[in-house]
Amino acid sequence: MNIPPVEPGTVGPCPVAPDALQGIKRQQTNPARWNGAGWQDFVAAVRAAGVELAEGSTACGMYATDAGGTAYGQPHGVVVARNAGQVSTLLRAAQAHRVPVTVRGGGLTTEGESVAFGGVLLDMSGMSRVLNIDAQNLTVRTEAGIYWHSLAEELRRENLDYLSAPLNLTSSVGGTLGVGGIDVNSARLGCSADQAVSLQVVTPTGEIVECSDDENAELFQRVILGYGQFGVITEATLRIRPYTPLAMHYYYYSSLATAIEDLQMLDRNDASDYSGILTIMDCAVNLLVAFDSDEREAAFKANWEARLRGFGEAGFALCMLGHYALRPWRIGEALYLLQRKQAVFPEFRRPEFHRDGKMHDRSVVFSRAVWKHWGSRQMVIPDLATPADTFIEAVERGNAVCRKYFPHYTLYCVGIKLRPEHKPHYEMSCVPPGAEGWAYGCEFEPMIEGEVYSRDHFQAFKNAIYDIGVDLGASYYRFGGMMKGYIRRVFGDALVDRHLAMKRKADPAMILNRDVIF
Amino acid sequence: MYSSAHSREFPACSGCSLCRLVCPMWRSHRDPRFSPEGLAKALQCGATAAELAAPLDACSFCGACDPVCPERIDLTGMIMELRRQLPQSATTVNVPVPPGPAPAGALLLPGAALRADPALLTRVKGLLGIAVAADDGADIAQALETGGAIDTPRQRAFLRGLDGRTLVVGDALLLRQLRRWLPAARLQGLGEALGNVGVIRRRLASADFYVIEARAYHADYERLVGHYDGLRADTGCAMNLDLQRIAIPAVDEAEARWMLQGRRPARIVVENPAEREILRRVADVPVLHLAELAEA
Repeated sequence: MNIPPVEPGTVGPCPVAPDALQGIKRQQTNPARWNGAGWQDFVAAVRAAGVELAEGSTACGMYATDAGGTAYGQPHGVVVARNAGQVSTLLRAAQAHRVPVTVRGGGLTTEGESVAFGGVLLDMSGMSRVLNIDAQNLTVRTEAGIYWHSLAEELRRENLDYLSAPLNLTSSVGGTLGVGGIDVNSARLGCSADQAVSLQVVTPTGEIVECSDDENAELFQRVILGYGQFGVITEATLRIRPYTPLAMHYYYYSSLATAIEDLQMLDRNDASDYSGILTIMDCAVNLLVAFDSDEREAAFKANWEARLRGFGEAGFALCMLGHYALRPWRIGEALYLLQRKQAVFPEFRRPEFHRDGKMHDRSVVFSRAVWKHWGSRQMVIPDLATPADTFIEAVERGNAVCRKYFPHYTLYCVGIKLRPEHKPHYEMSCVPPGAEGWAYGCEFEPMIEGEVYSRDHFQAFKNAIYDIGVDLGASYYRFGGMMKGYIRRVFGDALVDRHLAMKRKADPAMILNRDVIF
Repeated sequence: MYSSAHSREFPACSGCSLCRLVCPMWRSHRDPRFSPEGLAKALQCGATAAELAAPLDACSFCGACDPVCPERIDLTGMIMELRRQLPQSATTVNVPVPPGPAPAGALLLPGAALRADPALLTRVKGLLGIAVAADDGADIAQALETGGAIDTPRQRAFLRGLDGRTLVVGDALLLRQLRRWLPAARLQGLGEALGNVGVIRRRLASADFYVIEARAYHADYERLVGHYDGLRADTGCAMNLDLQRIAIPAVDEAEARWMLQGRRPARIVVENPAEREILRRVADVPVLHLAELAEA
């Protein structure tokens, strides 16, 4: 991709290919949705209250897009969060002056949810300190702008670890608790948000409130998995656990359905500590199984491994050899598989992350591999979340859509153990309404590979995936921002209107994370 | 890596923030402007070096950002270049060039920190068994550090006769630059060279905390990560590596405290003499240079 030089003082051109606007210079795809009325009065008010607010393209330009790289916008100004009092002051002024506030943690949204189209951007990464580690009760209190990886760094000094977090080094705790968070141990431990014990939240009107399932429970229920609509999470108390390295096992399948059946069999029987599916192609499917202890690994080998229908690496290579020997016209596909194997596999086996046959710091290994081998300037990752019984159909239909739109793509499938007592948290979230026991999620990620696709192409692809969700009564992880048109279709008017009424009550000027959901 | 075009330059920064995780400047300020990502993004928006003076001054050139960047942007090089553009940058100090050629064979270029401790320099020289260069380019190293201009005749005089030789370089910023200037030379940092000396390796113990010199390590990360993993496996000592196997530098007392948080070593062993002093201020256990181990 050619990245042209940037004219000083400008935002720089949108790197997504032009589509319907051939020949027309496109600097900001999404027009500012707020006209800036009252901005100067607002700035004067917050500065008078001692809040540092930066303006200008140098300060604001770094927030022009999110990890998705297809939504572009700029705030009028930026505030780096320092403490709950400062956030409260900012939100009170924003309510009074009706200035939109977009909250950003790691900026790892893909649909522009953390991109500010005018107004003020609140960068939570300034609140990123660990406040207290309680090794006795296995909890940690932390500022919520911290990256999960930074939290892991501090916990590891005490030989502790978080329970589960997205396999991405720069996801923030607050952002993740606001949307869910999925790890390869979610089939056992639930989504990342389920590990939250209590939160300090600054409400849209500026009150600083501590909440949990026992204290201000209604606020807690709305903020957890609430897509940032009902407050800014400034601190969180999370459950933690002793650190363990992993014993990893990989099984390879040529059938998605068979791999998913085996994944669900393992999850139902609590046969592994970690499980997930990552595909190279739809005929080369990897089921990852891992263990925290030798005992769990031994029990798996004794009771469950023989039931898996996947192959080891050598066995699968022989299968593929036979497969392509009979289909020489598909040699290109075989070469792609081989090239991908040679590039990616060593990344998962770097010796500095392995000792005595066990993988240390799995999130680093996986995240670095993801950034290196799956990352792109655009990350388009539509997903489907379904109950267990409709998951295979959802994945197979989604896979067919991927095949239609992109030459190469990856699917990442994982189960999420649901906690019945957390049902109120799951309302209008990525957890599908009909799911019992486990929900299953699949991300469909095209390999951009330096190609240039139009925004229309990406959007049509995402819509085709999300239409499957509407058809199957599923949910999505990424239903906000550019995909919010699906919210009423998938959740129904009654539920959405009820949440909208709650939002209006909590946020009278509708300033907080405007246009993400409502 | 997302794309091959324009790699190693700031326009390729996608804002992934991975550099923040390892950046001492970010840890100290918790402000995105004080990070390589913040600098690259500001440049993309047309900022000048003068507008970025505060983060440019705050950067320690530890180089931790370079190996973690998925775009393989030369972030340290970017910051060094920006520092050169700052108006207050000093020009290089011309030092008298010693007459005659440097002695034959492998050479030690000790650098300012090691030269400041003659007893330690003598120990290092004895352990490595190589000659010490009379001209170790200390003024050039200083210019690299401060953003000063490097006088071309002076640079030529310094490099004359060095290419193709084995050099042990004490100043890691100079070592980084020599990799570009002397492609045929066999270059090693002081830590790596001493770490391969048998008597030193044998005296490292599992209760030791080994402090890798961050600049040298990150400038040759893909090779040295294996070297230090081997050293750890051989000796059992803990190291100043984070979970990404990136070195935490003792650039100041706050970073030194973070480096040691949760660690309970019996002894700290450093590669960089400058870090010995900082660590002595925050640690309550002996802090030794690697060369001092041989007599410990």
